[in-house]
Amino acid sequence: MHLLLLGVSHRTAPVDVRERLDFATRGLSDALLALATRPSASETVVLSTCNRAELYVACEDVSTARQELIGFLGEYHGLDPAALDPHLYEQTDAAAATHLFRVAAGLDSLVVGEPQILGQVKEAYSVAAEQRTVGPVMNKLFPWSFTVGKRVRTETGLSEGAVSVSFAATSLARKIFGDLKGRTVLVIGAGEMGKLTAQHLKGQGVERMFITSRTFAHATALAESIGGTPLPWQDLSTSLAHADIVITATGSTLPILARPQVEGVMRTRRNRPLFMIDIALPRDVDPAVGDLEAVFLYNIDDLQAIVQENLTRRAAEVTRAEDIVGDEVKKFEAWLSTRGAIPTLVALRQRFDAIRRAELERLQPKLAGLPPDARGRVEEVTRLIVEKLLITPTEQLKSIPDPERVRTYADALTRLFALDAEEPARGEPGRGPAAHRAADAGKSVTP
Amino acid sequence: MNTIPLLLYLAAGIVYAAHFVTRNVTVGRSGTALLAVGALGHTFVIGMQTMAAGHVPIAGTTQAISTFVWLLALAYLYMEMTTEERALGVFIVPLLVALQLIRALNPTVEKRVPILESLWFGVHVASLLFAYASFALACVVGITYVLLFKEIKAKHLGFFYTRLPSLDSLDLMNARTVTLGWVFLTVGVVVGTIWATQARNGPVFDLRVQAMSLADPKILGAVICWSVYSFALYARRLGWGGKRAAYLSAIGFAIVLFNFVPVGYFLTRSHNFGG
Repeated sequence: MHLLLLGVSHRTAPVDVRERLDFATRGLSDALLALATRPSASETVVLSTCNRAELYVACEDVSTARQELIGFLGEYHGLDPAALDPHLYEQTDAAAATHLFRVAAGLDSLVVGEPQILGQVKEAYSVAAEQRTVGPVMNKLFPWSFTVGKRVRTETGLSEGAVSVSFAATSLARKIFGDLKGRTVLVIGAGEMGKLTAQHLKGQGVERMFITSRTFAHATALAESIGGTPLPWQDLSTSLAHADIVITATGSTLPILARPQVEGVMRTRRNRPLFMIDIALPRDVDPAVGDLEAVFLYNIDDLQAIVQENLTRRAAEVTRAEDIVGDEVKKFEAWLSTRGAIPTLVALRQRFDAIRRAELERLQPKLAGLPPDARGRVEEVTRLIVEKLLITPTEQLKSIPDPERVRTYADALTRLFALDAEEPARGEPGRGPAAHRAADAGKSVTP
Repeated sequence: MNTIPLLLYLAAGIVYAAHFVTRNVTVGRSGTALLAVGALGHTFVIGMQTMAAGHVPIAGTTQAISTFVWLLALAYLYMEMTTEERALGVFIVPLLVALQLIRALNPTVEKRVPILESLWFGVHVASLLFAYASFALACVVGITYVLLFKEIKAKHLGFFYTRLPSLDSLDLMNARTVTLGWVFLTVGVVVGTIWATQARNGPVFDLRVQAMSLADPKILGAVICWSVYSFALYARRLGWGGKRAAYLSAIGFAIVLFNFVPVGYFLTRSHNFGG
């Protein structure tokens, strides 16, 4: 059994190609069901995000599966497969696992370490599990990738620190105020950056949001779009006294908040902390305001410096994260290689069992005189002998980490026990779907 | 016997420091586990000493220090359980180690003098030890508040920024621990006054009890502590939260510690009843 990955991402395809290959529009379930009709892929998972569209399949023959998948992508999205080819990448077995683990860890993301991707990988697997298009390989691979993603996030600083200005502002607000639910935000000005930051804060649970602008209509429009309350410009000082977080993003060429004004406000506030985010250029808040105790004043440069610092810190964590991925891929590869031995082990078991049944049949006349429970016990003992004989070769074969050596041993077993000499009429053990199912359930090969 | 909790606290302190630097969850849990085992061992030690002496070992300064360490360890563990926050362990546990070291160097449990055989005395000392444990927590929380405050203010978001809870949580913890400590301190001082008055007029004559007055450094120290923390509580109503409250709780605990250890050993005439 092989693992094959075929896909496009922000690294290989421009946005218009990615848009056309998006599976989310028609739903992942739909894509999975369409893909399930292709005979070569026994297991499938579709991962579709705004930056990537990837198909993960388990198959016996990689080249056939590859052709089928390219055909599927073209047909499903109504594209010419030849036009897709330059944008596609493919990986098999350990390389495919490496890719998925890197994706889940956030190493392949546009912004390294971004947290959403792990949820999207989980979602992809969960939909595939619902549609029953997963089997033993995917059931091992995907949960494994979640573990890798989590390990990377907890053991490295890859996902730490905000990497956008608005997120940096929100993180700071959380560090100052903890839970943002009961906090009041005042947005001064109705610019795009102010809106973005306000939306981030809203996403973090802020319920009370006031917007003021020199033009009341602008304040009203922004208030409507983000779910806040517009305030007249004259109420600026009063509203400052009640706000915990102030976002200033006006187009004013002169500072709109001077130190004496804020000093007065701080007295009214009884020195409760005030977090001021000045994202206007030129600045809206006099820098001297930042000298006041309990005022935390951050301007756009400060926030950008934090973002840059976090990006640098993340970049420094990449090597550690890659090491974790490498370490986990090795373990996964070892597991995958043992799967190569499963058909041989199934065949071996069937051979032993056939001998056992033949011998019991031969002894049937002699056993006929025994009471039924004694006959049952003889049957049980012979079955146990077979099971016990199989324990050691099964464990030995499964413990070999090198796929090449596994193949050598499996070939040796096939030869020694003439496992490939069985009549086709009885079905080649381990090659048919029934054998796979038995192997997957782990019943036949794990005595 | 007092060395066992000392060593466990020391080990916990090292692990807490490792956790503070690495922020590894498993390391943090190991620190908590070690501290819990240390506190459990300490409970056993204090229990054995209580059984051997027939009373809780709180009469002398050294014994009281050990009981204080035990209470502080329990209080901190409680705080950790309720806030899910173990970043403060690196500040608290060294204090436990330093104070328990005093006890380990002087492990004897002296027999309680007859004048101290009173329920009032037990309540007096126990309340004060609870108060001191709360103030120790308030102080640590206050120090961490200032460290984090300075980082955010200076816009250098680094070591403490990534490790400590929010300023608001720290301020809230500070307010709660100071309030709790103040209640116990008040009860301790009031009950102590009642006990001293009774003991002075009682049948047993003891020079130390006779020497009790506001002029005694230990009593004066307790009154100053009470005033500082009362002011801290009042000042909060005036808007002295955050950094100022943090500084006040640090100053308050410095006085507590000074009054507890050097004054308790060397300067008081009325407040040292044992080893």
